Amino acid sequence: MSRPGLLAGVRVVDLSMGWAGPLAARHLADMGADVVKVEGCMRFDWWRGWEATQEWIDDGGAEKNPAFNTVNRNKRDLTLDLSTAVGSDLLKRLVANADIVVENYSAGVLPKLGLDYPALAAVNPALVMISMPAFGTTGPWRGYRAYGSTVEQASGLPHLSGEADFPPTMVHVALGDSVGGLNGAAALLTALRAKRRTGRGQHLDLSQSECLFPLGIQGILAQSVTGEAPPRLGNRSARHAPHGIYPCAGDDEWIAIQVRDEDQWRALAEFAGISGFGDLADRLDRVDELDRAVAAFAAERVAEMLMADLQAIGVCAGHVASSTELATDPHLAERGYWKFMERAHVGVLPHPAPPYRVGDEPFDIDSPAPTLGQHNREVLAELLHLSDAEIRHLERQGVIGTKPRL
Amino acid sequence: MTSSEGALAGIKVLDVAGTIASGYCGKLFADHGADVIDVEPPGVGFDTRREPPFLPGVQAPENSALHAYLSANKASVVLDADAEPEHLSALAEGTAVVLDCGRFGAADFPTAPNVVVSTITWFGRTGPYAQFQGTDGVCWSLAGMVKTVGRAEGPPWMPAGCGAEIVGGLTAYIGTLGQVIAREIGNAAGTVRLDTSIFEANLCFTEVGGVGGYRSGRRSRRLGVNRFAPTYPLGVYACADGWLGVTALTPSQWKSFCELLGMEKYAAVPEYQTAIGRLYDYDKLEPIIRERVRKRSAEELAARGQGARIPLVPVPTMAELFAVDQYVARGAFATVEAGTGDGFLAPATPFRLFKTPARAGGRAPLLGEANAELLP
Repeated sequence: MSRPGLLAGVRVVDLSMGWAGPLAARHLADMGADVVKVEGCMRFDWWRGWEATQEWIDDGGAEKNPAFNTVNRNKRDLTLDLSTAVGSDLLKRLVANADIVVENYSAGVLPKLGLDYPALAAVNPALVMISMPAFGTTGPWRGYRAYGSTVEQASGLPHLSGEADFPPTMVHVALGDSVGGLNGAAALLTALRAKRRTGRGQHLDLSQSECLFPLGIQGILAQSVTGEAPPRLGNRSARHAPHGIYPCAGDDEWIAIQVRDEDQWRALAEFAGISGFGDLADRLDRVDELDRAVAAFAAERVAEMLMADLQAIGVCAGHVASSTELATDPHLAERGYWKFMERAHVGVLPHPAPPYRVGDEPFDIDSPAPTLGQHNREVLAELLHLSDAEIRHLERQGVIGTKPRL
Repeated sequence: MTSSEGALAGIKVLDVAGTIASGYCGKLFADHGADVIDVEPPGVGFDTRREPPFLPGVQAPENSALHAYLSANKASVVLDADAEPEHLSALAEGTAVVLDCGRFGAADFPTAPNVVVSTITWFGRTGPYAQFQGTDGVCWSLAGMVKTVGRAEGPPWMPAGCGAEIVGGLTAYIGTLGQVIAREIGNAAGTVRLDTSIFEANLCFTEVGGVGGYRSGRRSRRLGVNRFAPTYPLGVYACADGWLGVTALTPSQWKSFCELLGMEKYAAVPEYQTAIGRLYDYDKLEPIIRERVRKRSAEELAARGQGARIPLVPVPTMAELFAVDQYVARGAFATVEAGTGDGFLAPATPFRLFKTPARAGGRAPLLGEANAELLP
């Protein structure tokens, strides 16, 4: 087995760092594009570590971050010191033969290096290049610094979640990153198709905060069409009851139960032996009492087993899992979702499958995330036709390398 | 509504599923110039037509603003796919993509020899959860997206909205368009059924936790509202004029943040040079930060913070969102018209192809509006 060749022949230069950009490029790599990730020994992907010390470097810290290792599989890694003329020239030669460049530097970095879109389009007019700063490449916030958390904050979405007595509630440490990455992949494929149709490349951008708007679309549209935001109801719903998260047996064990219609309510009530409640209007009126009855029913049960029991009678229910349990989730295990692969410096790691598949098996993954500069020789010889002597010279100059430098 | 413009001009898409996920997937196709046809069941139309919010004063089935947002720039036909398979087959001639929720296979569309039947379901078609009933809350609960939200003592809080379905639709768009392009460039041929699991799509948020948990064997703990390891300070803080979003991750951001708030004496504390080290002292640092921002302006702190290279932003309310300078400048919202002509502002496609721009806003079709044009 090997990864599919859907995008075989598509060359991608991935200058991006962190989570969003590398995830965008990962989707292209998973579908068979040749993705060369370009880092520098001094300007390495900050997701390898943002608190670097010499001790951390000596300990191989740059190769151990699970986050970095998860979003960079199926790629090759080339180090280039882009602040040198020779490094910059090599990047341009790489881009000259590429279809796509992905970058998510802060505004101003690539122009200063002479490697922004106009400079790269000059060596490759058909280039498709995406820039994905937090708020886009235009507008008064184009230079704003942000993480995935900042993007969630600026999207306004925290005003839709949580309970009304608490501050606007964030739902993730970096919600914007993965959604930005998915939108990046979507944008690149859309532009690749446009290039196929028109023969022309183009520069594209996205705003990671705008990418989050659809996730809160009902709240945004409620404001738009009624002039009012929906109330923050915590786990409750104005349209369904019961609708909540209830404690189960054990420490910090919970089940989500969201009854969607009267059939589900009748099934739940019969199974749980809950009586005395009427139609939806009655249940919404007496929701405190209803939630106490459901909580009492769930309290002594094991969440995963209760989920299976309720789902078997058609009731929407889900165990509130910890992300750290996902590698042992029975559904994912049976579907072959995790591929266990050996990775230098860390041993065997689970790698998540692409979320779309043909047939019962997931797309295969060829290789784990590359180590820093792992493919220097291969890429420089194969794609840029450099000789051994030239490559050794670049090593001596420090333009390429395989260890971070402070 | 046939379009000759846009990145995806010439691609024909049928939506026979009518879910939020298929609707969002199809919306990305439609906004970029594909010809997308909603194939709706007789009488009531797609389920999304019964999803709030509703347009005041407009009658069903044309009053769902959510449906109008999802279906702008698409066509609608009413067709009983089970009773009239020959009509479905005729409609499918030349179709590149069918968006499905588990009813159809590639063999059902003989008039479309290269069709990608893109099936989007909550949990995929195999495995112990395959027959589970899904909701956004159930999906995110299983995905590890709920456990870390809410008060430490519980219960965890389900995020509001339909984020899981949107992410599922967005992910299906990536996989589906990849298949379409592969057929156009000669890397694939013939029909295919592509399955997207909304659950697995949403593991994009938490897969790193899954990998880390496998390594460490540790379970994640819920730390409290707006508290997420390993980053601190991170959160939403009350100011005199609204809410301030804060993230200070690196040592230099922490130093600048302390200077901005007049907390210089904490800047150089050795234990506070890492984000996790500061998180350990949350109980000490949090009241100080809250007090220091409480009487200040969120706008001003964000602007000054950004000047000092700290990622600070205002956290706009829904009422403020449409007027945020940055979003106005980028045209982040555009007018969508329901089929009845009632217009409202809705988010535009969040990515910009400057040479082949997406259609911003647009009109949603009335139920069955294109029957005379598209059906025999």
